[in-house]
Amino acid sequence: MNDDTLHAIATAPDLRELQALRVRLLGKKGELTEGLKSLGALPPEERRARGAALHERKRAVEAALEARKAALERAALDARLAAERLDLTLPGERVPAGAHHLLTQVTNRLLDVFASLGYEVVVGPELEDDRHNFGALNFPPDHPARDTQDTFWTTDGRLLRTHTSPMQVRYMESHEPPFRVVVPGRVFRNEAVDATHEAQFHQLEALVVGERITMADLKGAITEMATALLGSGTRTRLLPTYFPFVEPGAEFAIWWQHPKTGREEWLELGGCGMVHPRVFEAVGYEGVTGFAFGFGIERLAMVSYQVSDIRDLFRGDLRLLEQFRGVA
Amino acid sequence: MRVPYGWLAELVEGLPPLQETADLLAGLGLGVETIDHVPGAPAGVRVASVLAAEPVSGALQRVEIDDGDRRHTVACGAPNVRVGMRAAYAPPGTRLPGFAAVLEVREVGGVRSEGMLCSPRELGIFEHAAGLLALADDAPVGAELAELWPADDVIELELTPNRADAFSLLGVARDLAAKLGTALRHPAAGLETAAGDPSVADGLEVRVADPERCPRFSLRRVDGVRVGPSPVWLQRRLALLGLRPRNVVVDVTNLVTFELGQPSHAYDLEALEGGVLEVRRAAPGERLVTLNEDELTLDPEDLVIATPAAEGGSRAIGLAGVIGGREDSVRAATTSVAVEVASFEPIGVRRTGKRHKLVTDARIRFERGVDPALPLTANARVTALLAELAGGRPHPGVRWVAAPAAAVPAIAFRPSQVGFLVDVEVPPDEQRRHLERIGCEVVVEAPDRWRVAPPTWRADLELEVDLVEEVARLHGYEHIGSTHPHLAFVPPPTDPTHRRLRERLVGAGMVEAIGYVFTSDEDLARARVPEPRVRLSEPQGIERAVLRTSLLPGLLAAARLNRDAARLALFEVGHVFLDHEEERVGLLWRGHGAASGWRPPQGHDVYAAKGQLEALAEGLGARLTMRPVGFDDLHPGVSAEVAWEGTPVGRFGRLHPEVAAAWGCGDVIVAELRLPLEACPPRLRELPRQPFAERDLAVVLPADVAYAELQARCAAAAGPRLVELFAFDVYQGPQVEAGHKSVALRFRFRHPDRALTDTEVDADMAAVMTALRDAGYAWRT
Repeated sequence: MNDDTLHAIATAPDLRELQALRVRLLGKKGELTEGLKSLGALPPEERRARGAALHERKRAVEAALEARKAALERAALDARLAAERLDLTLPGERVPAGAHHLLTQVTNRLLDVFASLGYEVVVGPELEDDRHNFGALNFPPDHPARDTQDTFWTTDGRLLRTHTSPMQVRYMESHEPPFRVVVPGRVFRNEAVDATHEAQFHQLEALVVGERITMADLKGAITEMATALLGSGTRTRLLPTYFPFVEPGAEFAIWWQHPKTGREEWLELGGCGMVHPRVFEAVGYEGVTGFAFGFGIERLAMVSYQVSDIRDLFRGDLRLLEQFRGVA
Repeated sequence: MRVPYGWLAELVEGLPPLQETADLLAGLGLGVETIDHVPGAPAGVRVASVLAAEPVSGALQRVEIDDGDRRHTVACGAPNVRVGMRAAYAPPGTRLPGFAAVLEVREVGGVRSEGMLCSPRELGIFEHAAGLLALADDAPVGAELAELWPADDVIELELTPNRADAFSLLGVARDLAAKLGTALRHPAAGLETAAGDPSVADGLEVRVADPERCPRFSLRRVDGVRVGPSPVWLQRRLALLGLRPRNVVVDVTNLVTFELGQPSHAYDLEALEGGVLEVRRAAPGERLVTLNEDELTLDPEDLVIATPAAEGGSRAIGLAGVIGGREDSVRAATTSVAVEVASFEPIGVRRTGKRHKLVTDARIRFERGVDPALPLTANARVTALLAELAGGRPHPGVRWVAAPAAAVPAIAFRPSQVGFLVDVEVPPDEQRRHLERIGCEVVVEAPDRWRVAPPTWRADLELEVDLVEEVARLHGYEHIGSTHPHLAFVPPPTDPTHRRLRERLVGAGMVEAIGYVFTSDEDLARARVPEPRVRLSEPQGIERAVLRTSLLPGLLAAARLNRDAARLALFEVGHVFLDHEEERVGLLWRGHGAASGWRPPQGHDVYAAKGQLEALAEGLGARLTMRPVGFDDLHPGVSAEVAWEGTPVGRFGRLHPEVAAAWGCGDVIVAELRLPLEACPPRLRELPRQPFAERDLAVVLPADVAYAELQARCAAAAGPRLVELFAFDVYQGPQVEAGHKSVALRFRFRHPDRALTDTEVDADMAAVMTALRDAGYAWRT
């Protein structure tokens, strides 16, 4: 055994060769093992000197083996890492992100606001009857107020609801006050279709009934909603108007900055008022007051996101739908 | 309704400037739509009289005029040019609104025309181009027309149907005066209003056969009428209202309709057989030609004004409360008229108007309700104007057929309700002032017990809450504060809009669409979905005639629209209308799944789509299974019924190639599931303490046996220790017999308490193999 051995270890080309060297030197029948085994046969003085030399030798070989092993492993790792290198600037493989419809996004945003204000979300049928859509909401038969809601009648005498207000009646018929509810949903008007008018659109309506709900509570609720949507300092305005199912009735507007023009102005949003006594009468409520307010989702969505043609919202054109990815 | 500001200012003392007035109106609930600035007659145009007119060729005439300074010759093609008339003359140098260039002297058909005579449209003052603006003697020859016909601003109001009283200048002025606390100048003030008498010696006769539909009817004879153009102020007033001036008689009745809100009609006496007017229901099939030349076939529900017919009986000459007939119209030669001012019952007028699709100024007012106290006042106003402007001589008496008016009950009112409901403090004396200013009579019985009688023109005031609104409205909604009520109400945590479902689908890369509920018979048939159950009675075209019975046709249309998209994954949550209305989710996939663009995309096949649905179910803790069932719209070999927790909820599969071809939507995979897809609450199971024992078995069986069937058979045979069983390979090809497939199954067995022995597992597998042999299947281990 000489320095060639250490040299062989230091230049072993791979881990297998190195292992072979380890077996040859340190294995059960390896050179050094055999040398150590044969020590017993030597006389004591020679055994000590020889033993010391052999052990010294074994430590040197072991150290050389470990060093070479570490070097080879590092080289192998380096080679593997180099081989596994990837260009991470190439596009990933993926399913493109999905998208909620813009109207769903706007509705969800509003529903979140109402949920935080303690409202229950309820929904109702789109195909309605005269009583729920008109009669119980104090639209007398043959009253011109019905002309303000151009109605799609069905051949079997039903109608497509012209507003979400029938749910006021349905909810009150099956629940007892006090409550706060909000009703999102699709509604229909038999009007000429153009860039700003569709025969179907969406509304959101809130109804609060309790022992003594006031018109100031109504204004407070609208202001809360506007604040949640647009931030603090938002102003709201009520102007008198007429809807058969509220008295006093009002239209409401919120003061905002138009996203396109940047001008601050009133955004006329919807109608509101105190629930008409005849509506309470129709559902069998006594001794309570309440307010309701409602507005169109499309208008809010269109001015907020600068959609110029309402019909684009219902065409299912991916090029439009995909633009509203990722937000919910 | 259009409200000319200048006219309003005459009726309301101290009317504030235009914009302030508009704001006041909006604050009163008389919604302001727009404010139009309406220009007056163009500068330089003068009143001229026509001295001579001589035909040149065709319609063209050489016309000699006098503009007050000198004579001019102009070429004129208007049909109404007459010697002696007064017309609007634009001399050379005038700039007319519709013309690019300044008017010059020019040759027209051989006539050297020094300027022109103008139609109303050429002057830009109202929409009429079929003749010259005809002026009456009140317009002095040589006068600047712009001085007689100045500009004005018109406030366009969008009136709500309850405010019948506001469909007139008087009504709008009354509200403003009440708000301002200033005086109202009533247009009929100072007029002597006759009491009305059923028997006046005027040679006329009125027979009201339906007093319910016509509770009041006044008729006054006016003789000596000269039918000609109205004075400039009247023509201008009508033009500002958006009406076309016609002749002084018609113009006066129109003016009063807008001024007082009471429609009226003037009959040519010669058209009334024996001077008799009858108010009756129409005979079935009776016909009437209206003023607008529409020929109507009447309904027995229609109320008509009739006059005796030469051949006996009577013939309709007008549709009561809606429109007059052609035959009774006032003509140029008319000298005697009978002025009708009546009340017609609103619902009847409304039904007739709707039946014949006629929206007229009369209908709009009668169907909302005209002040029952108005007919005699309005008759006095119309006849006084005819005397003043048309030289008419009204008969001293007014014929009056009226049923006794029902007394309007007073409303019990508690002023405390204003504070209670609106939460603004308005002192009682101020409340009383508001109510009295809009015409109510207030009797204070006790501090919080008033009796309030609304005026005859406010039939919309019926309940205490209506008076609360009146007080709040006049006080001003801007005084209402913002408060937040405390309610003992905690909303239940529900998800009726299926937000969780939508979020999962969007998270899986699907794009939400919203389609139309309207569709056509043809599209439903083409998509092979159920026939329509709900049909619209007045649809917007056959494309929108029925309600959808499935969400898929809408998604197929979207797939066609997006035919260039390499990848499509759409869904819609919406209602469909079958024997009942139900909510569904429709899904559509086309093209590849995950992709990078630079290496082959993953297949987006049926199993990938099914996997999405399974993942959806898994995420909601539910079990989704499919059973091969054929559906008309699906590929017969790739069509399944979908069950959610064991309950069938819809279908899934590849669109039938014929349907795909009919829609041009490409090869798509679709699903339609009924909502709600309920989430199942998680049920925690004890964690297994023992390892499982695994066995694999490849079963060779006929290709058309469903995997679900094989799985069920094996699971049943394997017994209770089987905890998991799934396919890890399905093979069909040269290695197995034709018409057969090899399904490699992996079985996992476990005992809850101890390790299983090989003998036990082998016994379970033997039972499986026995069952497979009984079914005639082969296997390889």
